[in-house]
Amino acid sequence: MAELGSFALLLALALSVYSFLAGLVALIYQKSATQPASAARTLPESAGFASLLRRGSERLAETSRRAGIASFGAVLLASIILVICAFHDDFSIAYIFHHSNRDLPGPYKFAVLWSGQEGSLLFWSLLLTGYAFVLRLRYKTDARLFAYASVVLAGVQIFFLSLLNFAAHPFAIMQGNIPADGNGLNPLLQYPEMVIHPPMLYLGYVGFTVPFAFALGALIMKYPGEKWIHITRRWTMVTWAFLTCGIFLGAHWAYSVLGWGGYWGWDPVENASLMPWLTGTAFLHSVMMQEKRGMLKVWNMWLVFATFWLAILGTFLTRSGIISSVHAFAQSSIGDWFAWFLVLTLGVFLFFFIKNHKSLESEHKLESLASRESSFLFNNLLFVLLCFTVLWGTWFPKISELVQGNKVTVGAPFYNRVAIPVALLLLILTAVGPLLAWRKTSLESLKRNFFWPTIGAIAVAIFLIATPESWGSVFGLRPWRDISYFYSLMAISLSVLVILAVASEFYRGGRVISRHTGQGMFGSMVQLTHRNTRRYGGYIVHFGAVVVIIGLAGAAFNQDREKEMGYGDKMSIGPYTLLCRSYTEDESPNYFSQWAMIEVFKNGKAIGSMTPVRRFYKASQQTSTIPDIRSTLNEDLYLVFEGVNQDNGHPIIKAHLNALVMWIWMGVWIMLIGTGLALVPNAQAPVRAPATARLERAQPAPVATGD
Amino acid sequence: MTWLLVAALLTAATLFYVFYIPGQLFLGPEKTRASYLRERKDAVYENLRDLNFEYQAGKIPDADYQQMKSSLQDEAATILAEIARLERGPGKTA
Repeated sequence: MAELGSFALLLALALSVYSFLAGLVALIYQKSATQPASAARTLPESAGFASLLRRGSERLAETSRRAGIASFGAVLLASIILVICAFHDDFSIAYIFHHSNRDLPGPYKFAVLWSGQEGSLLFWSLLLTGYAFVLRLRYKTDARLFAYASVVLAGVQIFFLSLLNFAAHPFAIMQGNIPADGNGLNPLLQYPEMVIHPPMLYLGYVGFTVPFAFALGALIMKYPGEKWIHITRRWTMVTWAFLTCGIFLGAHWAYSVLGWGGYWGWDPVENASLMPWLTGTAFLHSVMMQEKRGMLKVWNMWLVFATFWLAILGTFLTRSGIISSVHAFAQSSIGDWFAWFLVLTLGVFLFFFIKNHKSLESEHKLESLASRESSFLFNNLLFVLLCFTVLWGTWFPKISELVQGNKVTVGAPFYNRVAIPVALLLLILTAVGPLLAWRKTSLESLKRNFFWPTIGAIAVAIFLIATPESWGSVFGLRPWRDISYFYSLMAISLSVLVILAVASEFYRGGRVISRHTGQGMFGSMVQLTHRNTRRYGGYIVHFGAVVVIIGLAGAAFNQDREKEMGYGDKMSIGPYTLLCRSYTEDESPNYFSQWAMIEVFKNGKAIGSMTPVRRFYKASQQTSTIPDIRSTLNEDLYLVFEGVNQDNGHPIIKAHLNALVMWIWMGVWIMLIGTGLALVPNAQAPVRAPATARLERAQPAPVATGD
Repeated sequence: MTWLLVAALLTAATLFYVFYIPGQLFLGPEKTRASYLRERKDAVYENLRDLNFEYQAGKIPDADYQQMKSSLQDEAATILAEIARLERGPGKTA
């Protein structure tokens, strides 16, 4: 099996190389065959030769496309073989020996594919060729542009498949005797979400290669117009949704497995996934300016490139061992490969940007600061500023080591100092942006649109300050006591501003539809959303984002306590009292476990029992905690089995009371639903052509760019 | 040695798929300035529709609406004029 897997990988590399070279040659010949009239083309025999050349290059381009398609089949075969080997406990393959064992449950054996360095690179290649497979099948949308994008994708495929064949081979054979059992999977990865978190994250990371391929293709061919953006819009949104899902699944996994009571620790690997998400989100916004007004073409080109580049940089961070992290793969030599690939992609992009940047001239200028365009621009600047802060903080330990000789790490306070104010400003823009008109907004328009949402936000702020503290959680907020309370109050009030702004958009739009169709308000709002799914789906994404922000704002009210608890011992935290009923040990084929049974009372009333667990995995000889979490809208009660007092055998229990955490997970679901809605094609709306009356008066004149 | 046979079959099938191309190829239309202008025209019409909708929704005061509508209509008219000129062919006038 291993031999066939190795062969499939080699075949995939050969096909990718062919796809790249044949595609490149075909594009060069096609370009020369369509050059403007030259002396040679005036001769009949030369015209015949040009036609022959063109036909030949078209057939060559088709073989390139087909080779790209076939490369997906080869990588898929290699992946299937690796999974089969994991299920057959084939420990003759080093990768299976290091990442699996006989008693590993079935779903985790499937997850072995992305649990280690080599397998995850194979999985990355599978997704990359998979995306490219879909792109190459859909080439009829715009055959020329797709041919360029296909060549760019083949170039990226060559890099990953070269890594697999020459630096991180997943089918490497064990030296000496074949071991009876494997080392097992890392215990932290033996959690249901870990079966889906990496694929989601990778789908996001890898997916950004597609918009990049189209962007670079459009830049190389000086593609006139914004059609490449229309083509990639859905790719970008799907990819963004996967990355969002991956990031929050990771946060949920950290919350549910790592046992420290938090969901985000500004770890370098977490940051690695956040950076492309930030630039990708900026791109999703700024791209509208290019579509609607033909503006920010250069900026968008750089954002697409930065997003792709940061995704690769994130992979470099996780795999090179250059920066230490709880999530990183083992230190290896493949970091050098990634470093060179990063330099190469930057070089290629810079070369074509310098060569063809004149094809990216804006068609309009910014007319007013009070306009939708400027809100997008500020939104983009804030996202990029946040991305740069995260990049700087992530690399600072390495930079300080190079400059000073000792590693200086930066923690959450560094990131929070920038991230919180930036997030608050972004919230303001999220509320303001949709209410501003394109081009410019008058003072009267501002007053008309902002009055009620602002009153609502102020009313909520006053309510939160005025309520008694005994209500708990975010009620009775006293912003003058601590800066974190001030930030929480601002975050919640501004979130209300966004929610009211979004609601007013739905209400006003629904009222127009209702007036024209006679439908009820709800039906009209549904129809409104269906007529412009991207816009109203986007508003739902905004609504989800502010629900997430409200959840994050709850962190200011978190509490925790730790206590050794024998039979009948009690511990209090917030309105909860915890009573230790029992503690015991258990054994399964894969691990030993210790657990405590804690009875929970809220305001003196019994509400159930909780069982935090600590496991010791036999194969890997590692321990892991499984916290027990009781979630409500208001707060999470989070219990961790920290350890055992060796003298008396009593468990040490740590209790966290985390405010509003459930809002984060709910918000993510809303964001994903909004993205799903934005992907639905628009319902047809009546078409008007009001400009025809002026046609006769207009003078023919050059319009913007385009060859 | 079974794997060698499978590998050989796989290679043969792949080569056949890649290089055997019967029939006509799909090349799609060439992107011209006129097709680009039609895309721009669609974008401006969409902007006009959005503007009209926002006006009806009460988001834009009348004076702002008239000014922005006029500007967008001028933009659309300029594009339509160039499309008409390109469709008539070089050197011809209305």
